[in-house]
Amino acid sequence: MSTYLTQVRAILWKDLLIELRTRERVLAMGAFAVLSAVLFDYSIDRALVAPQDVAAGLIWMTIVFGGLLGVGRTFHLEGEDGAFRGLLMSPTPKDAVFLAKTLANFTLLYVVSLLVLGVFMLFFDLELGTSPATLVLALALGSLGFVALGTLFAAVSSGTRLGETLLPILVFPLLVPMIVYGAGATARLLADRPVAEVAGHLRMLGAFALVAVAAGSVLFRFVVED
Amino acid sequence: MEAGPAGPAARAAQRDAGPVLEARGLVREYGPVLAVDGIDVVLGEGEFLAVFGPNGAGKSSLLAMLGGALRPTRGSVRVRGTLLDAGDDGWRHRIGALSHQGFLYLQLTAEENLRFYGRLFGLRDLDERIPARLERVGLAARARTRVRELSHGMRQRLALARALLHDPDLVLLDEPYTGLDPSASAVLRDVLTELRDGRRTVVMVTHDLGSGLELATRVAIQVDGRFGWTGEASALSRAGFERFYHEVVEGRVGAEGSGAGGPEVPS
Repeated sequence: MSTYLTQVRAILWKDLLIELRTRERVLAMGAFAVLSAVLFDYSIDRALVAPQDVAAGLIWMTIVFGGLLGVGRTFHLEGEDGAFRGLLMSPTPKDAVFLAKTLANFTLLYVVSLLVLGVFMLFFDLELGTSPATLVLALALGSLGFVALGTLFAAVSSGTRLGETLLPILVFPLLVPMIVYGAGATARLLADRPVAEVAGHLRMLGAFALVAVAAGSVLFRFVVED
Repeated sequence: MEAGPAGPAARAAQRDAGPVLEARGLVREYGPVLAVDGIDVVLGEGEFLAVFGPNGAGKSSLLAMLGGALRPTRGSVRVRGTLLDAGDDGWRHRIGALSHQGFLYLQLTAEENLRFYGRLFGLRDLDERIPARLERVGLAARARTRVRELSHGMRQRLALARALLHDPDLVLLDEPYTGLDPSASAVLRDVLTELRDGRRTVVMVTHDLGSGLELATRVAIQVDGRFGWTGEASALSRAGFERFYHEVVEGRVGAEGSGAGGPEVPS
């Protein structure tokens, strides 16, 4: 295995092991997802609005808001004993650090995304339709693009006085494509429309994820280096 | 990128290849504050430089620049002739740094921390190397203890094992004795003494004049971002040097003095 992949795997393993031991971020995101679904359920007047009609947008907004809770703390534990500085002083390329931390965040957020989908299915009486794999793929592509941007801007905000407060201000404007195409694909798939109808949405989500990962890989070093 | 730290044969070949550390005209500004003001450091293989100075003299900034952790506002740093810049991370194999902080993950065990850093440095013999390093710093029995549960002294020793894990050519130590009890200090002193093996180059920033003089081959006193005095450590006594140090820090000795040509230091 090349040194690059060994380094990516080492950081990914470290991040997931720490999360497994602390459960700090995944619990916060999971609890937020469940509680949000409950509140959204109460907020809808079912006499006027069919929950299925608004579920897709609410699912994606819950993923975004809940995801920020976890992604925003990407560099929190790194700072406890100056560990992130130690990581940066190692010969690990900065794009490898970014990729590893993005993959770790993706793993956590994807688990939470599937939880969000399950909780909304329960509270909003949703059915997966005939293409659950396509729906799961849409969540994966959207989550990947989101965490790539989130990881980059979490690095930016962690070095500022405003900290995590700054993160949504930086990230939200860039998430518009993900929300548009993610919610669009989800609404159609939950309505059991043909997969061909969401192929364009999936391509756009894939392109969004690709651009976000590529941009993050290039820009991360300028964010974390003095 | 280099595959790993230089081996013994490579070290022998490098011995006469010039200075291990060559820093020229280092300046670091933080906004209007001038932390480091035109410092030169040139050290050969086996040299051990102790940098003394009061708080706020810019010692940690100097050390961070020498380790590539902080970009100089002006000036350059070369390690084994390689310019430390943002374009290539290969030179980081040659540097080991111990800071105020241990750079350790508190939720991981001592062994897991070393294995993590070992993988980042591309080391392949971690199953043999890690137990040996933990044994050397007296933490073999704590290999599976999470860092959060270790005392400050134990963390400092583990941080030293981390800094030396990849056998760096250049070792940078920032206040390594801070907060240590006598037994932890003794272990640390033993390990640092072993660094004077003629192969490694060390820069240590410390307030501990006694330990610094004991270990160093060269000494510098940094005041207001500049070296107020530099010289050989061998001829200095602690008592005489302590008086001289205070005179330099308080400005009673001119900053132009340096080594043989500068003000006389009581031995």
